[in-house]
Amino acid sequence: MMASMVANGNRDGRQGEALVLKGVDPETCMIVFKNHWAQVVKILEKHDPLRSNTSSNMASAVQNYVEHMLFLLMEEDAGQAGAMGPILEFVVMENVMERLFLWSLRRQFTDDMKLEQLKMYEMIVGQARQPLLHHKPVLRPLMMLLSSCSGTAGPEVEAELVSLLNQLCCVLAKDQSVLELFFHTSEDQGAANFLIFSLLIPFIHREGLVGQQARDALLLIMSLSAENQRVAQHIAENTYFCPVLATGLSGLYSSLPTKLEVPGEEWHCLHREDWLQMPTLVQFLNSLEFCNAVIQVAHPSIRDQLVSYIYNGFLVPVLAPALHKLTLEEVMTTTAYLDLFVRSVSEPILLQTFLSFILLHRHENVHILDTLVSRINTPFQLGTVSLALFQTLIGLYCEDVMLQLILRYLIPCNHMMLSQRRVVKERDFYSVSAAKILALTPSCCSPEHSPPPLRQLDSILWSKGTDNSPNTGPLPPPLCKEEQEEHCQSPIYLDVNYLHYLYNARLGISSCTRACQVWSAPYDGEDPPPEEYQPSALEEAGARGRQAQTVNPKRSHPHPRPRPPCPPQTTDPAPTNQLELEWDDSYDAGPVVSPEAATAESSRPPQPPAAEPPKHIQEMRRTAIMLVKGSYIEESDFQDDVMVYDLVAKKDEDHFKVSSLQEKDEVPLSNGLSLPLHPTNMEVNSSEVIKGSKEVKAHVEDHNSNLQSPLATEVGDDLMDQYEELIRTLGSDEAGTGGSSPVKTVDKEFRNPVVTPMEEDEVDFSSFSVDTPELEKQHLSLFGTKLRSGSTKSHSVPFTGPFVSVLLSRLENMLDNSLHVNLLLTGILAQLAAYPQPLLQSFLLNTNMVFQPSVRSLYQVLASLKNQIEQQASTKKDFPELITSAQHCLLARESSLKGQDTNSGDSRECSPPEAGRMMKSSPPPQPKTISLARTEVFATVLFTEFLKELAAIAQEHSILSHVPMEE
Amino acid sequence: WEIHLDLMLNCSLTRANGELLNFSSPARPSFGKKQLPSIPKNAVPVTKPASPAATAQLANGTHASYGPFYLEYSLLAEFTLVIKQKLPGIYVQPSYKSALMWFGVIFIRHGLYQDGVFKFTVYIPDNYPDGECPRVVFDIPVFHPLVDPVSGELDVRRAFTKWRRNHNHIWQVLMYARTVFYKINTMEPLNPEAAVLYDKDVQLFKSKVVDSVKLCNSHLFDQPKMDDPYAISFSSWNPAIHDEAKERMFTHKRRPEDHQKGLQVSGLSWVKPGSTQPFSKDDNPPQS
Repeated sequence: MMASMVANGNRDGRQGEALVLKGVDPETCMIVFKNHWAQVVKILEKHDPLRSNTSSNMASAVQNYVEHMLFLLMEEDAGQAGAMGPILEFVVMENVMERLFLWSLRRQFTDDMKLEQLKMYEMIVGQARQPLLHHKPVLRPLMMLLSSCSGTAGPEVEAELVSLLNQLCCVLAKDQSVLELFFHTSEDQGAANFLIFSLLIPFIHREGLVGQQARDALLLIMSLSAENQRVAQHIAENTYFCPVLATGLSGLYSSLPTKLEVPGEEWHCLHREDWLQMPTLVQFLNSLEFCNAVIQVAHPSIRDQLVSYIYNGFLVPVLAPALHKLTLEEVMTTTAYLDLFVRSVSEPILLQTFLSFILLHRHENVHILDTLVSRINTPFQLGTVSLALFQTLIGLYCEDVMLQLILRYLIPCNHMMLSQRRVVKERDFYSVSAAKILALTPSCCSPEHSPPPLRQLDSILWSKGTDNSPNTGPLPPPLCKEEQEEHCQSPIYLDVNYLHYLYNARLGISSCTRACQVWSAPYDGEDPPPEEYQPSALEEAGARGRQAQTVNPKRSHPHPRPRPPCPPQTTDPAPTNQLELEWDDSYDAGPVVSPEAATAESSRPPQPPAAEPPKHIQEMRRTAIMLVKGSYIEESDFQDDVMVYDLVAKKDEDHFKVSSLQEKDEVPLSNGLSLPLHPTNMEVNSSEVIKGSKEVKAHVEDHNSNLQSPLATEVGDDLMDQYEELIRTLGSDEAGTGGSSPVKTVDKEFRNPVVTPMEEDEVDFSSFSVDTPELEKQHLSLFGTKLRSGSTKSHSVPFTGPFVSVLLSRLENMLDNSLHVNLLLTGILAQLAAYPQPLLQSFLLNTNMVFQPSVRSLYQVLASLKNQIEQQASTKKDFPELITSAQHCLLARESSLKGQDTNSGDSRECSPPEAGRMMKSSPPPQPKTISLARTEVFATVLFTEFLKELAAIAQEHSILSHVPMEE
Repeated sequence: WEIHLDLMLNCSLTRANGELLNFSSPARPSFGKKQLPSIPKNAVPVTKPASPAATAQLANGTHASYGPFYLEYSLLAEFTLVIKQKLPGIYVQPSYKSALMWFGVIFIRHGLYQDGVFKFTVYIPDNYPDGECPRVVFDIPVFHPLVDPVSGELDVRRAFTKWRRNHNHIWQVLMYARTVFYKINTMEPLNPEAAVLYDKDVQLFKSKVVDSVKLCNSHLFDQPKMDDPYAISFSSWNPAIHDEAKERMFTHKRRPEDHQKGLQVSGLSWVKPGSTQPFSKDDNPPQS
């Protein structure tokens, strides 16, 4: 009542009041104030609410006086040299605020009353002309009020509380001297704490305005912590801020849909339009964004703690299992979430946390990265979504990512002939590579052959500027006509479209080059030196690195609170590294274990379970080996995947009913999310906080119980049976499918050396039988299917890494891929080609480079595709017409996408026909003349464009890479 | 020097992608989207009969439509090499009209030709790099044994009897054009008078050179011989124009440091130099 009046006065009456007060001299104000107070005191003393019922008359009288008094207080200016004004001095001396508060407290302290008091403080804190909070007699009752509001309170009180806390934080941010007082006042309450901070914690994950205000207020304190060691230390050691924040992510994650309603086959990532329609996802992203902001501004000790909790409390226990769920849709959904999260995070340290999770974390002994890479090769949307994730990762220009994905395989330079190492850095002066790439343009797609509307040739005046020198060169014929004239200007025909590619290539390469300036090495075939990173040397380096890491003092948190329990592989660096070595072996080095590694292994007995993958994985692996015999036939791999996934998908439906029953009986597993209560430093009003975090915890555990793996093991076993059955059926099929079609044969010819599939089988089979136990170390995740089947390759067989391998195999299937898969695929390859590192550039774009026979190059794949296309074109009579309709269709698609882009950029007119659609990337209007199912036709058109894109990138590299960047 | 060349480079690149080819900037927002060209509305497509020559080109592996791009980029690559060489006292700039014609100026800083400022033009054969070596022609025939007294052409061919792709580069030609003024060669001269004088009467030769240098310098502020926006033209110092440019040159020199501070680097790396392990930098926050 009282304060509501005051608050109203604040809005309506204040102006008038202020005007009235303006002319009044301070002494008069003082006299009025004292008078009012005397009246109030009289009432307070006469009517102790505990003894007699305070009449509402009395209450409203008090309220009336107080209202006036507060206005007088607010309007008072500070005295000379910052001294208190007389009214404030009186307030302090007489302890006015505390007495008023106590009086309210002795009446029934209802929510309404709290609300009034909160509003009262909000007003005087926000509007007083002199600092009030420096004075304990003002601050103390405020703190008592805050404490009393922290318990169970209605939403209105909560909103007002947060609003006041927010305001207090603003004051703190402006005037740090108040900070000390906040701490001291709390000490008076019997605990060294930082009440306003603790009060805000329960609202961290709240949605709506209250949550936003609380997060804003917390951020103010976070930036305060960056400069104030005491605040930082308090937050890191005595509060549950970081765990609540991180485990909150887990809780919010659990409420996300486990399966996304995918609008169409073309969909591959969560756009803004998509997630805006999912409130739970919006809420998650809000909290993630808040983490991002905290990490950006907070003190390093808080930052490190938070990052650690996010890793150990969210990524490892929640996201990792979610990435290994049982159905395709669930896994696909998680992958799409992960992609979205990576795209949403901007703070490098937080990004690093996500990336190190992706690159280095092992779930059930398989690197997340390997699993993700292998999924690129899966049919269905999972493959597409995985591709989109890698597109995001590659677009980060992150050295660590590129190193793990590709560069580590290229550094030893084993993929090329020894004599070629000096070629790595050579510049392609005369666009030879571009010419070779463009020469792969299928004859049916050459610009001359397009009918007029699609013709990409345009007449352009090409001035030669040369004088009378005789022209002997092989320049295009049109040039020769007006040869005799000096400075002749002759029209020649250029592919105008190609200029766009050149322009974009230039943009792409420049921004990539600029970004890569922070990298540690140029990757030019000399630095890092190839000799030091030969597979054997790598193992030693790994051993050394392992030692170094163990010696390194682990950064621990300065406070005594036990850190949440972590899975063993995350706490002990040793097994991680050991297994990393093993991973290297399986891909790069083959079944050779260096003596060091071997001894290291034997000297560390307590980790046998870490070294051995779970049984079902092993078993699956074995069967997978039997199935593919370590051979490298992508086509048949692909077939297997299809069948396995089919099986799994069917299996899933049945299994789901069972699993939902089992779930209830499951004991939630310890997952590093428990929040041990601190015995000594319990905060006065932290019960709410604890309660809040307990809820979160419970939530997370619930969630986790859905994710844990006992189920997975069961299904895994189940799956094994299916798998084995599958093998039996496949075994008979395989002979029939292997390389019998003419296209495939052509394709094989392009590989170097020419090996028939049968031979390949034999070769790999023999190597398999030589060293069976080592082969078992191949990693195979439930959904990752086999990683690269070529993991049996030994030192002598160079390998450019699973990622490149999987990309090229999907590219090889270009004619069968759907349009959007090809768009993603070629997009990623173009993105890679734009990287300025000579190792990468020479591998992808230098067509003159001589590689080891076993290494497949991009150019080889492109050449094989060209042949496949020519074959198709020669056998299908209507191919040219189909090409034309496909070109039209793609043009229409492009312009509709462009329309959407401009539309989202600024909301001008130009409403695209599909404005009402939910997903941005859902399929374009179907062309009448050609169905998207004619993948080979669309692929042919795309292939031609891709050649131009690559050639343009190669050309731009030839003039850009050695020039210092100009803004 | 650097800014000059950088500017030149930018000009030439703009030209390569823009003005000459009458090309407006495209709107391809990101990687991953293949873009087909929009159909030019006003341009009437020129129908070109598929000539046997064109098919021959295709079979050759070179595409008729792309030939000019290869030539243009070869020349740009040569140009970037020239910049990299930082040849003392030599400035070149491709012409607006053709990448095959470069304008240049050479400042001689000591020796017989000291204080000479000679403008020249480089003509590159259009079958570059498979043709003859580029030609260098001085705007005003300098009195020099190797410079044709009538045409002003420098005898470059003696130094590059056969132009070999990948081995010979245009910067070498420019380097050669500079060297001839410091090390006089009178063998098989294009200007026999100069050669004889140099061998027989150096004093007279010297005075003739001084006259020639004076003549050249007196024509320095003339309009460029070639009517081309990128032709090199000299003008006397005008503070309104040149002070600002001068300032820019000096600020440019300081830029490397500004660069690191101001420029927001978008790339990421946690790899310790000398390591190939991800996240090997020491200042990584704890992870696991």
